[in-house]
Amino acid sequence: MLKSCTIKGRCLGFLLLIYLFCGMMAGNPWKAIAGGPSSENSVNCDMQQGPCTKHLGDMIVTLDILPKPVMAMKDLTFTLTVSGKNLSSEPLMDLGMPGMNMGPNRVELKRVKEDVFEGQGVIVRCPSGKRTWKATVTFPQTGKVEFVFDVIY
Amino acid sequence: MSSTEPLYLLFLVTGFTVGFGHCIGMCGPIVVSLSLNSKESHLVFRHLLYNAGRVITYGILGGLAGTLGSFTILASSILSLQKGVLIFAGILILLMGLAMGGWLPFGNFFGSGGSSSVFSKWFQRFSAAKSSVCFLLLGLLLGLLPCGPVYTVLIASARAGMSAESALQAFLSGMGLMVAFGVGTLPALLLMGKLAGLGWLKSRQVIYRISSVLMVLVGVYFIIQGIRY
Repeated sequence: MLKSCTIKGRCLGFLLLIYLFCGMMAGNPWKAIAGGPSSENSVNCDMQQGPCTKHLGDMIVTLDILPKPVMAMKDLTFTLTVSGKNLSSEPLMDLGMPGMNMGPNRVELKRVKEDVFEGQGVIVRCPSGKRTWKATVTFPQTGKVEFVFDVIY
Repeated sequence: MSSTEPLYLLFLVTGFTVGFGHCIGMCGPIVVSLSLNSKESHLVFRHLLYNAGRVITYGILGGLAGTLGSFTILASSILSLQKGVLIFAGILILLMGLAMGGWLPFGNFFGSGGSSSVFSKWFQRFSAAKSSVCFLLLGLLLGLLPCGPVYTVLIASARAGMSAESALQAFLSGMGLMVAFGVGTLPALLLMGKLAGLGWLKSRQVIYRISSVLMVLVGVYFIIQGIRY
């Protein structure tokens, strides 16, 4: 086996091992290599203090999460208020961690008033200790807004 | 076709993609540890057993989430257990790293990596072919490791249970989603186990030592995270 391996192959294998271990430490090997903060990871809401508002074209989108404080591993109510445009269908809300694939975690929003949508969801806890989460709200045929905020573990 | 069926494929694919990212972070150190301490001829079988144990635990958790119809009730019930498993995994990786490097300092009990120590003999026994069932048991236990994507699938399992018509259907729906996810993670972890277990890699003393140091660091990291969890 040893003889059949080329020097190049051995180096490649060794680098792969280091790469995997780096990934273990970071929780994500791709991120371990890429690294560095990005604007995507930046917190742009203080959800613990109250609702957060974003603009999308002519639309004003406000997200609130209750109860406060917003904690991971608890049943949460997500309330989305949209003004500036009449929506014919419910927007879609997906929860995730910036820069980390946590699997599909969609909050099913239902219209409770003309411009208010509500849904139940859970923000899960990441064993890495990272507390920044992202709620991506997608308006079909219009675009999407991202609310990036910290939760309490 | 029930409303849950398309989700099986979704979470199978999720498991596959998450496997090459997140799972390498949580299960990777254990998989590498097992590979570096196993004979190459037993490697694939043992990794299959380990992963089978993990998927069985996932299935049971999914079934429970489906039956309860609540992720948060299940999560709060197993929190202490998960914390313990995270610390246990850290200790296991740490000991394996120390044993591999020959740095276990506790005299006659652990020895210094030599074959005469109690720990080394236990380790050799653990690595023997007849104890392969240990890998299944290890997988069953470590399937409880806290993991974000696992939680996400458990949320879906609970939702699938809520929309089920009977308790049995709720259990099966939840279990099915978690098993699909677990099966999806197999390629990444099997590939990683195989790569880490390559004979020529293990035969390289320097690489082996570096791997030992990295395993010790990962083990300590796991223990700290477990205590803080």
